[in-house]
Amino acid sequence: MIRRGWRNPRDVWRRATLRGCVVLGPPPSAAVPRNSAAIAASLRPRGRVGADPPIRQTRARVAPAPPPRRSASPLHAARAAVGCALCAALALPALLLDQPLLLAAVAAAAVLMGVAAGAGRQLLRALAFALPFALLIALLNPFVTQTGVTVIARLGELPLVGRTDVTLEALVYGAVLGLRALALILCCALYAAVVDADEVLRLFRRVSFRSALTAALATRMVPVLQRDGRRMADAQRCRPGPPPSRIALVSAVAAGALDRAVDVAAALEVRGYASARRPPRGARAPWSRHDRAFAVAALALLALGIGARLAGAASFGAYPDLHGDWGAETWALAAAIVLLPLAPFLDRRGIEPRGAAAQHAAWGHR
Amino acid sequence: MHLPRSPLAALALFVLLAAGLAGCGLGAGERDTNARVLVTRDFGTRELGARIVQDAPSSETVLRLLERNFDVETRYGGGFVQSIEGVSGGREDGDPVDWFFFVNGVESEVGAGEVDVHEGDRVWWDHRNWGASGHVPAVVGSYPEPFAHGAEGKRYPLVLECADDVEQACDTVSERLGTLGAIPARRALGTGVGDRTLRVVVGTWGDLREDQTLELIDRGPAQSGVYARFGEAGRLLELLGDDGKPMRALGAGAGLVAATRFEDGAPTWTVTGTDAAGVEAAARALTERRLQRRYAVALDGPRAIGLPVVR
Repeated sequence: MIRRGWRNPRDVWRRATLRGCVVLGPPPSAAVPRNSAAIAASLRPRGRVGADPPIRQTRARVAPAPPPRRSASPLHAARAAVGCALCAALALPALLLDQPLLLAAVAAAAVLMGVAAGAGRQLLRALAFALPFALLIALLNPFVTQTGVTVIARLGELPLVGRTDVTLEALVYGAVLGLRALALILCCALYAAVVDADEVLRLFRRVSFRSALTAALATRMVPVLQRDGRRMADAQRCRPGPPPSRIALVSAVAAGALDRAVDVAAALEVRGYASARRPPRGARAPWSRHDRAFAVAALALLALGIGARLAGAASFGAYPDLHGDWGAETWALAAAIVLLPLAPFLDRRGIEPRGAAAQHAAWGHR
Repeated sequence: MHLPRSPLAALALFVLLAAGLAGCGLGAGERDTNARVLVTRDFGTRELGARIVQDAPSSETVLRLLERNFDVETRYGGGFVQSIEGVSGGREDGDPVDWFFFVNGVESEVGAGEVDVHEGDRVWWDHRNWGASGHVPAVVGSYPEPFAHGAEGKRYPLVLECADDVEQACDTVSERLGTLGAIPARRALGTGVGDRTLRVVVGTWGDLREDQTLELIDRGPAQSGVYARFGEAGRLLELLGDDGKPMRALGAGAGLVAATRFEDGAPTWTVTGTDAAGVEAAARALTERRLQRRYAVALDGPRAIGLPVVR
């Protein structure tokens, strides 16, 4: 069975040999992840093995980052365009509305969707990163704005900022801004966890091939640079004497990144990417039930967000004094924001059990 | 005494000490301030609202006082009032209009969010055309302020300067100010005083025109904020419109009550006229009823005309 997001390895091997490349090792017999970096790493020009220093150097130094882990869930089974649309539609109410209850609903929906898609740990990691960030925004806001009529602390004249009165309204609005940042970060984390980046780039391949390639390379290079940084930091710690500064480490990694960029550019040029043309339109795959279910959920979220904004429902304002709509309508909207994107997860027909999916994932990574 | 060893603890101690010295505290402060807010448009000709506020907290600013009592929209991080009661700044009939405020009849040098409200203050917000004058340093429309409470919670030292030939008008002014509890020191014209002293100068314009502050009036509203000027060596009073152009002229018996300010000093009020009769009429107009909500007042005999003359 060829699952979505996977490609017949023999087909990859056949195409590579037809394009004048030699593939290291025997023809594969098992499925490999459909991942541009993994495929690119397995391709080398025919007859030039070991004779082309830039390419060999690139292969030796640019170790591809592991492809995103794919769980067995209805959201993973949906096409990337639908996954993107769902994440964007979930983030939209957080951008359009100020009501804290709805912002909390968006954040909760993102976490619950991540858990339902088997990416709960990634979402919780993002939450751990975003919480201090949100807290910082909440605490900073009262110091940059003096608006609001309920003074809760008078800090007198502070250097640079002048007269500073902390108002309850500025504090609450800071919390709302922090909550909004939290919700948006979680939506982005959900996107990163459940949507195949390669598939998204394939969507844009016909629009701008080079941009898609650049984005693919950039996303793959970031983990490589992180790894470089860690290794250099380890090496630094092994040296006698006082430890060198972090700036030295950053400049070394930055210089390495430029070095790698030159190598990759040379490798791409040799492989003829400069003369690439717009790829042909592929056959359109029919929409699955998961595609349809999540697309409907995305459209419903979109309508909910825009409709609430236009109708002025679930209003909230912090200045000059706190006022907002906390009635049944607001609670119903919040419930809808949480439940709508979760509903398609109930249909698990055609989705492998979690144990089998984990086995597949481990096997695919090997 | 144990001093903190870690730099962080030392910094925290320093911040606490500094906060204590700077008069910091929790909460909004004691509620013992009484003030008035007036909101008008077109140089005070149309009133949009007025409130008497009692027991405002000591941390109250002019902006908070306004926001607490009117529907306000702000811009630029809350420091600039864009709209009050739905009346917005911008352009009207091609002229620039915006909201300006006076505290006790004196235009503020800083934003409304940074001006504290003190006991007895009168805050006046006016939406006006500022094409002819973007800077009106002082107005008479908050009378009996600034004589009763002064500025920043302190009364100004008050000096009454009178010309020789207007004794009766000078007595009238002195009496009116005395009823406010402001006892002025009477001096001759041209006696130098400090720039933090509130001056009331009484005399015909021919006698006053050499005064360093009052000569701003002859330079027009862009310099003085007073929409009137004298012509023919002080024998003619030209009343200007809100665009700065002459609307009508008054001759003998015309008076003027106006206020202006030289740089950032205390305001200077003038009770003047084209002749002694005009000065006398102006002195008699020194009442709250005659001056209320007016930038300046011209007297055509017993009749008071608000300035500028709004089209």
